[in-house]
Amino acid sequence: MAKPAAEPPDSHRPSAILDTLKRLGFGAAIAVPDGWLGEMLVRVEQEPTIQLVRATHEEEALAIACGARLGGLRAVMFVQNAGVLSMGAGMVSLAQRYQFPLLMLVSYRGTVEDPVFYHAPKGRVTEPVFKGIGLTYARTDPHRPIGPQVEQAATYAEEASCPFALLLSREDVQW
Amino acid sequence: MVKATRPSRADYYKVLADRLPANALVVTSLGNASYLWAAMHHAPENFYFEDAMGLALPLALGLAVAQPTRPVIVVEGDGALLMHMGTLVTIGAVAPDNLTVLLIQNGVHAASGGQALTNASLDLAALACSSGIARATNVATPQAFASAMSSGSAGRGAQVLVLSTEPDIEVVKPPIALDPVLTKHRFMSAIGAPRYIPTLFGGGRLERD
Repeated sequence: MAKPAAEPPDSHRPSAILDTLKRLGFGAAIAVPDGWLGEMLVRVEQEPTIQLVRATHEEEALAIACGARLGGLRAVMFVQNAGVLSMGAGMVSLAQRYQFPLLMLVSYRGTVEDPVFYHAPKGRVTEPVFKGIGLTYARTDPHRPIGPQVEQAATYAEEASCPFALLLSREDVQW
Repeated sequence: MVKATRPSRADYYKVLADRLPANALVVTSLGNASYLWAAMHHAPENFYFEDAMGLALPLALGLAVAQPTRPVIVVEGDGALLMHMGTLVTIGAVAPDNLTVLLIQNGVHAASGGQALTNASLDLAALACSSGIARATNVATPQAFASAMSSGSAGRGAQVLVLSTEPDIEVVKPPIALDPVLTKHRFMSAIGAPRYIPTLFGGGRLERD
């Protein structure tokens, strides 16, 4: 495996995510935005090597990502955790059943750090639901560079042939 | 639109098998959409859905994006479309020239036994047009379908053909095992998709053989 480029601990974390996706050869990004993801998607859209597809629903986004991967493109999804809650059937009967490796970058709304109070019901159930539907995941570590964490998540998805969700804080993803 | 007497799915599939473009990739929805196509025209370049109702269309869109030089044809039902109608809007926005959507309009949920749809008489071609898809046509006969398939891609985004069809409730026994992972690997191997080289062997990336 190519050695990851060193990432200064105080680097701009959203930029480091985008740089990592480019370095790993991701060719498609499928997204449904939320308040934290909006500017990231604008930046992705400006990348000539990554085609951004803006989907209307997260389960639809999941299937588009599966199709892109089926066709040989490495695919990343940008969605809010609420969107993962609403894609359960497609997750188990398509992505997991057919063993599609997908990197899911998920804005983790409704944690105690989230100032928008109405996200709390979604934050409270996110990890129990992920466990319930067999979706492997990790929360980002704010004390470690973000690029290697994205790479490890992407590698896990490929080597385990399954979707992997990396739960992102606002500092990780909001531009 | 649904007519009083309609052709069967097999009638349309005969035309599809006969007019299939060179290098075409075919995605079929759950139930007889997959079982009958496997019986009539099994090929490694077919991707059969086992379940995941409503997701054949978005998967085919992703495939069309990843394989822009190959025609991608997807067979979806009207009931499945209603579950994810927003996908028409996404297809209209992405506008892949190489995607042809065949919508089987039989007016029922055929794959689950023929239950009534929420609305069986929608003008699905008009719906597709309103969703931003430039080329969408209601088709009532195999002859009209053959003509539409022969007209080729006009390079104006995806094409939607709504095929007015008699419901086929009786399950067709597929002649092959529809194992999902086998289906995926067979398909990816047939199209020469790059494969992931594990980190243990110095990989961590997708590489072509």
